[in-house]
Amino acid sequence: MKYRLFAIIFILLFLAWNTLNGLIEGDWGRLEGGFENLSVFFSESMWPPNWSVLEARSYPVCESDIEFFCSVGYIGMMETIKIAFVATILGFIGALFFSSLAARNLVPLYVAIPVRILLSATRSLPSLIWAILFVIVIGFGPLSGVLAMTFYTVGYLGKLQYETFEGMANDSLEASRAMGLSRSSILLNVVIPENSNHLLSQLMFMFEYNVRHGTVIGIVGAGGIGYYISTYLKFLQYEKVFALLILIFVVVVIIDLLSMMVRSFVNDEGDVRRPTWLNLILTPKEK
Amino acid sequence: MADSILTLKNLSVGYDEPLITNINVEVFPGEIIAILGPSGIGKTTLIRTISGLVRPLSGSFELKVEKRGGLGYIPQRLGLVRHATVAHNVSLGARTRIGFSLNMWKERSQRTMEALRMLGIADKSNEPVRRLSGGQQRRVATARTLAQRPQLMLADEFLGELDHSNVEIVFKAVQTLVENGTAVIMVEHHDDNAQLFATRIWNIKDDTLEDLSLEQWNNRSHGGEEE
Repeated sequence: MKYRLFAIIFILLFLAWNTLNGLIEGDWGRLEGGFENLSVFFSESMWPPNWSVLEARSYPVCESDIEFFCSVGYIGMMETIKIAFVATILGFIGALFFSSLAARNLVPLYVAIPVRILLSATRSLPSLIWAILFVIVIGFGPLSGVLAMTFYTVGYLGKLQYETFEGMANDSLEASRAMGLSRSSILLNVVIPENSNHLLSQLMFMFEYNVRHGTVIGIVGAGGIGYYISTYLKFLQYEKVFALLILIFVVVVIIDLLSMMVRSFVNDEGDVRRPTWLNLILTPKEK
Repeated sequence: MADSILTLKNLSVGYDEPLITNINVEVFPGEIIAILGPSGIGKTTLIRTISGLVRPLSGSFELKVEKRGGLGYIPQRLGLVRHATVAHNVSLGARTRIGFSLNMWKERSQRTMEALRMLGIADKSNEPVRRLSGGQQRRVATARTLAQRPQLMLADEFLGELDHSNVEIVFKAVQTLVENGTAVIMVEHHDDNAQLFATRIWNIKDDTLEDLSLEQWNNRSHGGEEE
């Protein structure tokens, strides 16, 4: 069994290498000096990060006592978080509606297939393309960002959700069907609570994903921290870009810790030992 | 005698191949029927067919119960919502029988708590089901059916994993349903439980269902021992 696993991994790696070789037409010379280029670019252009992005902007005048609240980093990040929050909530609710109509164990095939096609269509456009479309239709600003992310979230979460629903144990569904519960009641009272652990995990992942992608859609004018990153890139201020990227990284880690805490309320491990804020970071000692 | 609530006519059940063929029986309100037979012979398939989850291979059956909540079903793996609380699970039973009205929340809650108290798990009402032991989970599944008050209750080995005192608690609760006219069909592995609680036995042997009164079954069992 162990050797078979190694053999499968070896074959997959060989296939990947062979495909890559085809893609670059065997020109491995391109990699020569690549690492050196990266280290030169990093040390000369990005390092040290310029933390002035966390200081108050010169214009407009800061009215807060705490300078940080008037900084590019805070204002951009908060706008990105707000866009991601609204889009994730709206997208999650929309995705629940569509995924309940796409799961084959919940609805007949003739309903599931068209809904799946619709979700695939929504998902096949990346959030960046959605953002460009909404910037054209609505104009620059956070509303375009919210709509772009909401549409993408529906497609992305919808797929994750209907696959989760299809993977659930059948016995609770069978019992509730035999009892005569309505479809909506089964969804609200059986399917969603039974899959709450996965749904929460997906919700938090999507929020994190949307925060990260807020940087990308901001570049096309859909609001958030990406707008500032795009501006600094244009003016070759890479050390400020690096500082903002570190800020995004910190926010993503915080969301991950938050996700762990939230999910501990609905999983078996949480029943045994619910993490505290401290031991989310430091592993507690075994008693 | 009251009208039958379930009539099986020349029914054959199974998936691709028939497991039990040519079943002709009737079930009346207030009866407790134990289905006995070796593993894999088709006991579960039979009650899944009656509950409408599996299509009959041939023949037919007539179920004269209300569409919404008239049938209670406890599958082998209990069919509980593990991440929801005990009270939520039990209230699902009450939900099927109590229609929309101003008092529906109160009625559901009353019926839920009544069932939980009868099964001795009222103190666990706010705990997630996943934290309970196997025996306690069986009591939750029974409480759900109790809150539902179905006309026909189908249960697949729901007394398994329970010790003697718990079997009595569960069956006392089921008895209250039976006294109100509910018929019970249960798959059983333990002959002892069948003899204690059932009024009729469906003994499955090869691909045939034998419909026996408890007396006939007892005579046959004792006769078998003497042989």
